[in-house]
Order: sequence, then structure tokens, then C-alpha cells
Amino acid sequence: MADTLLRIENIKKFFHVKRGFPVAKTMTVRAVDGVSFEVKRGRSFGLVGESGCGKSTLGRALLRLVEPDSGSVTFDGQDVLSTNASDMRALRQRMQIIFQDPYSSLNPRKRIGAALVEPLLVHGLADKRQAHERVLKLLDEVGLPPDAANRFPHEFSGGQRQRIGIARALTVGPELIVADEPVSALDVSIQAQILLLLRELQESHNLSFVFISHDLGVVRFFCQDMAVMYLGRIVETGPIPRIFEEPLHPYTHILRDASPVPDPRQSRKFLHIEGEVPSAVNPPSGCHFHPRCPYAADICKKVSPDWHQVDAERGVACHLFDTGNTGPDYPKR
Amino acid sequence: MHTMPNSIQSSESNPDIILDVRKLRTSFRIAGEWHAAVRDISFTLRRNETLALVGESGCGKSVTALSVLDLVPSQNGRIEAEQIQFNGRNLLGLSEDEMREIRGNRISMIFQEPMTALNPVLSVGHQVAEALLYHRDMNKEEANRAALELLDQVKIPSASSRFKEYPHQFSGGMRQRVMIAMALACRPDIILADEPTTALDVTIQSQILALLGELKRDTGMSLIFITHNLGVVASIADRVAVMYAGNIVEIADVDSLFAHPTHPYTEALMRSIPRSDRDTETLHSIPGQVPPISRMPDGCRFAARCDLARPICRKLDPALQQINAGSTHEVACWVRGDHDLTAIEDRANG
Ligand SMILES: Nc1ncnc2c1ncn2[C@@H]1O[C@H](COP(=O)(O)OP(=O)(O)OP(=O)(O)O)[C@@H](O)[C@H]1O
Ligand SMILES: Nc1ncnc2c1ncn2[C@@H]1O[C@H](COP(=O)(O)OP(=O)(O)OP(=O)(O)O)[C@@H](O)[C@H]1O
Ligand code: SF4
Ligand SMILES: [Mg+2]
Ligand SMILES: [Mg+2]
Repeated sequence: MADTLLRIENIKKFFHVKRGFPVAKTMTVRAVDGVSFEVKRGRSFGLVGESGCGKSTLGRALLRLVEPDSGSVTFDGQDVLSTNASDMRALRQRMQIIFQDPYSSLNPRKRIGAALVEPLLVHGLADKRQAHERVLKLLDEVGLPPDAANRFPHEFSGGQRQRIGIARALTVGPELIVADEPVSALDVSIQAQILLLLRELQESHNLSFVFISHDLGVVRFFCQDMAVMYLGRIVETGPIPRIFEEPLHPYTHILRDASPVPDPRQSRKFLHIEGEVPSAVNPPSGCHFHPRCPYAADICKKVSPDWHQVDAERGVACHLFDTGNTGPDYPKR
Repeated sequence: MHTMPNSIQSSESNPDIILDVRKLRTSFRIAGEWHAAVRDISFTLRRNETLALVGESGCGKSVTALSVLDLVPSQNGRIEAEQIQFNGRNLLGLSEDEMREIRGNRISMIFQEPMTALNPVLSVGHQVAEALLYHRDMNKEEANRAALELLDQVKIPSASSRFKEYPHQFSGGMRQRVMIAMALACRPDIILADEPTTALDVTIQSQILALLGELKRDTGMSLIFITHNLGVVASIADRVAVMYAGNIVEIADVDSLFAHPTHPYTEALMRSIPRSDRDTETLHSIPGQVPPISRMPDGCRFAARCDLARPICRKLDPALQQINAGSTHEVACWVRGDHDLTAIEDRANG
């Protein structure tokens, strides 16, 4: 079994926003509300869930791009949240992020070569000549021609820009990459190119990923473990094939069956899940999922379900797994 | 069974066909030159049928839909066609007044982002009622009542209490339902839906797809459903046209397309999707990218990315052709179509 590279414990991040008209009131958005998980070295951990459930906030919080309110993040034995600024810089070399739209994070007036050289110089990892050589090697690794170094971001297609975003994350030689929807904006044929590239780089550099996506197919392909989030909380974690084959949480089950698959024989039936995704500003009482859950009982409306560690690999937060219960009786797919 | 292939079948010979588009070419002027974004495509739509237009970004799906409704911006856009026959009537050459009568009344459209199509300062109920007042002979009270019925029909929960709410008070999925209600207001023969679920979460997408399926069944309307997601195609379409770089490269009944994807592009596309319902050992990626419309190569536009390409592919443009005699499954490919390649290559070289 691979060792644990990253451990997240009970992370919380609330935002205070002014909402309402004509009198604006301060409300609390419980974006990340007590989340825990572990990422093993050399593996990819998928974070899935619907829009606004807190995936990006969590990804940023664990890199301290937003400061979490509470909880702990341990990276390779080191307590990330209590690390001072200068040590944090060293740690940042080892933990990088890739965004959905790398364009917004690239300086439009800076040539690609200069943008890639910069982090190497800033972190004092190379002198100018070494940095330049390293960038050419990186461009080659992510499948871009050497002359890309002399061009500007707008001269590239979406897929090529994502390659640049990946190259930039790789410059400083990280061990962990938080990838926030890295292929969501791309066409499927380009998405496949990028996923294959990431997988290749993962093997050659022994990288670990926290891989954020709302696409279950992408997560099933790229990751080995995953967590399903709903309104700021994790409702289920476990290894990939087992979660897909036998989801425990009713929400995981519904998410799986609502994901379209390219097979008309399978997709003809639609899943009737009622209701909308509620807001993290004013989440439902008890189990956040209860208004949409076909199995909800009285207790679900009142009490937030405890975490049930089902076995060494899997856990779920649902009252159906309280002592004496055996979980829902799902129809077979 | 229909024995005539899609591209030959016509509305004259078959009253079941509600829309018959022939050799549609829509071009844009870029830096002083005209470039075709949609190039000589032909397709038909039957009554009460869902035809999906699928393909990657920029392949011409939206332009096709906009062309049918004559909504391509006229400053730099140009529509040419042999015919765009709707219900036995050629839409080409209709006056703007006549087209306005068709739009929204007989053929209506739904877009990906409903917020841009809704008026932010008018209540949702009011906007649906407006659509009814505009298109149907009703007084205000009748329109309000019918609007409420429509909102119920598209399953807006407690529609009567939400009638007076504004678009920003609705979630994305609920706004899309309002758009569908407005599109239904005049009981159209055809709804053109351009990526109506792309911006939505999957559980909400599943609700909207189910709703569209139900409405189609209950009203007898036809649907042109535009998407880039083959999973969505599989769940909603009766027939599918796969587009690549402004062409329809394959058209078939949905079961046939997924069972026998025949164009090398369709085949590659299917193999590039990571599936949630089974393990994918490895993905097939298509090398390269779609050329921009100002730099389209001669011949088959997929040739540069195609494993099967032969010299002829780079010279001549393949037309849609049945995959075998009597089939309604058609493909535009020199290698995969039912061609006598040797003869054609000899002629091209001779
Ligand atoms: N800086 C901020 N200030 C206030 N609220 C915020 C801020 N950032 C995020 N939120 C809110 O926190 C919640 C979680 O947002 P987050 O972006 O983490 O979700 P997500 O799961 O990444 O969604 P998506 O799939 O749409 O990217 C949302 O309700 C969002 O509006
Ligand atoms: N008004 C316009 N002026 C110039 N070019 C245009 C215009 N509208 C569309 N195009 C071009 O026509 C081609 C087809 O565009 P279209 O919007 O139909 O693509 P699409 O298949 O709908 O793509 P997407 O999936 O991204 O919506 C593209 O190359 C696009 O850049
Ligand atoms: S706790 Fe209750 S409401 Fe929540 S998912 Fe489980 S059964 Fe459904
Ligand atoms: Mg996000
Ligand atoms: Mg479009």
C-alpha cells in the first residue's frame, strides 16, 4: 500500500456575504464544512459534486490560496496550516495547482518562455541558461513545439493553453498537483489528449493528484480513489471501481445514474430525482440531501448523519448506515 | 422501415417530413473574404422526431440552427441553400415579416444560457404571458391563465406562487424550464434546442432531458437537439447527424450510429470518451485539432487527423453515401462509404 502524502482533517471554510434586497443582510456560506480525506503518493484522488458544492474552495484551502477557518492539512508529515511564510514558499514548490481556464492565469503580454522561466528563477532553482533549457524540455514533455516559448498566450488553442498550464505547474518539480476541472472546458478529443498527457506525467514524475471534476467518466478514468461532495460536506469516499459498482450514499447512486453514457440501450430511462440543488447559504437541516432523497426518514430532517467507516477503504455519511441499518436497497443497474 | 436514405428522401415524396434542408451553405466574411462555416449540408427532420446535431466546438451546429431561422447576422454572414422546406413551404426568400411569423410561432428556439434570453426586469409569468399574447389570439387574463398552465406543464414547483418572481430568483434549471415554457407557448411544430442542458448539473440535466422527451411525446412536435455530448445524444435522440468542420460526416438512427460508428471521426470520438459506466483502459485521442474556417483544406476536412486517409481524401470532398444498399445510415468518407475507390482514384489521377 502506498504511503499517505496528503491528509486533510475537518477543514472548514465559510464566507460571509451580503445578500438580499432592499436590506442586505450578512449571510454565511458554508462552502467547506468539515471535510477530511487522504491522498496516497503516486495516486489520484477525485473530488466530484455539483456546482457550488465547495470543490474549488477546498482545493484552494488545502494549498492555502484561501486560508481555511479551521482543520488541519498535513503534507508529507508537515503541518501546512502552521507553516510560516518562508517555509510555505518551499512547500509551494512541492504542491501546485492547474486551473480549468489557464488563460485567465497567464499574463497575456508575457511570452510563454518567460512565463515558464519565472518560477524557476523565483524559487532559485536554476540560473538563466539552465532555466531556459529546462523550459524547452518541459515544452517537449507536454507536447508543444520549442517555438511556443516565443509566442503569446492568445496564439494558442484551448488544449494548447492547458498544456502550458500543466508545463507551468511542472516547472518547479511538484509532488502533488491540485487540478481544478483541468479538462472541463475542452472538446472530448482534446480532453482525451490532456488526460493521457497527465497520466503519462503522473507515471514519469510519480505525481499525486487532487483531481476536481463534475464529470464522473473523467474521474473514473483518471483517479483511483474519490470523494463525493454535497453542499460543503463529503457524503462518501472510497476506491473508484467499488463506488461506481456499488454506491452507498443515495446521492452517489443518483449522480451515477444521471450521468449520461454513450449507449442508447442504457440511457433510455431517466432518473427521476426531484428538486434543485439547494444553496450553501441556507442549507437544509439535518442531512443536507434529505429534500431530494428518495430514502429520507424523519431523522434525516433533524440530525446530520455521522460518518460511518464501512470498511478499511470506504466511508459514508447517511442515516441508512446507522447501527442496525443495512443501507438502502438499490435497484440493480 | 424507411428505405430511402436521408439525403435523397424529400418532403414532396414524404409528407412525414416537416423540415427538409438541402445544400445549406452559410458563410462569414473574415478579413474581406468569405469562408463557409457550414458547407452544403442536407438533412431532413420527421414529424415527432428528435434529430441531434453533435460535434465539437466550432463545427457549425449553432450556425445550422440559426440559418434555418434566418438569424445569421447579415452584416458579415450569408446563407445559401437549394431549399429550406418547412411544412411544404420554402423558407428561403420569405420576407422578414413572414419569417417572424415562423419564428417563435412554428419553429422556436432554446439557448444554452437562458439568462441572456430572459428579460431581467420582468416577472417570469409576465414573460410567458407576453409570448402568448404575441403569438396567440388571447386577452390578458387568458394569457395569464395559459402561462400558468405552461409553467405547470414544464414542472415549475408551486408555479402559481412563483409566477411573479424574477429570473434572478430562479436557478439555472428553473430558468431553462421557463425558456421551454416560452418556446412551447405557440405550440410550435419544431423546437431548436441549442445546448439547453450544457450549463446545468447532471441531475438537473437529467430532469430537463426527461421533460423535453415527455413534451415531445405529448405534443407531437419535432426537436433538433444540439449538443457536443454523445451521452446526451444517446439518451434523447431518434436520429443523429455528426458534424465536423462544417460538414455532416455521418447521419443515422441513434441505435445504428452507436452500434456501428462508421466515419473515422465518429469512431474516434466514441473511443475518446471516458465512460462512467465501465472501466476505460485507455482513451483514444485524436491528434491535432480542427482547422479554422479560414484555413480549411481541400478534400475531406478530417484527412489530416485520420488514420485511414488515402491520397484521394486530400483531393476530393466525399459526399454522404449509404453504408450499404437500402440503409438509412450514411457516411461521408472515401474509405468507409460504399465507393469503388480504385475507379475513383484512377479517374482522379487520370
Ligand atoms: N470568495 C468567495 N466569497 C463568497 N462566497 C464564495 C467565495 N468563493 C466561493 N464561494 C461560495 O462557496 C460555495 C462553494 O463554491 P466553490 O467555487 O468552491 O464550488 P465548486 O464546487 O467549485 O463549484 P463549481 O463546480 O461551480 O466550480 C458557493 O456557494 C460559492 O458561491
Ligand atoms: N457571426 C460570426 N462571424 C464569424 N464567424 C462566425 C460567426 N458565427 C459563427 N462563426 C464561425 O462559424 C463556425 C461555426 O460556429 P458555430 O457557432 O456554429 O459552432 P458550434 O458547432 O455551435 O460550436 P460550439 O459547440 O462551440 O457552440 C466557427 O468557426 C465560428 O467561429
Ligand atoms: S441521510 Fe437520509 S436523506 Fe441523507 S442521503 Fe441518507 S437516507 Fe437520504
Ligand atoms: Mg469550481
Ligand atoms: Mg454552438
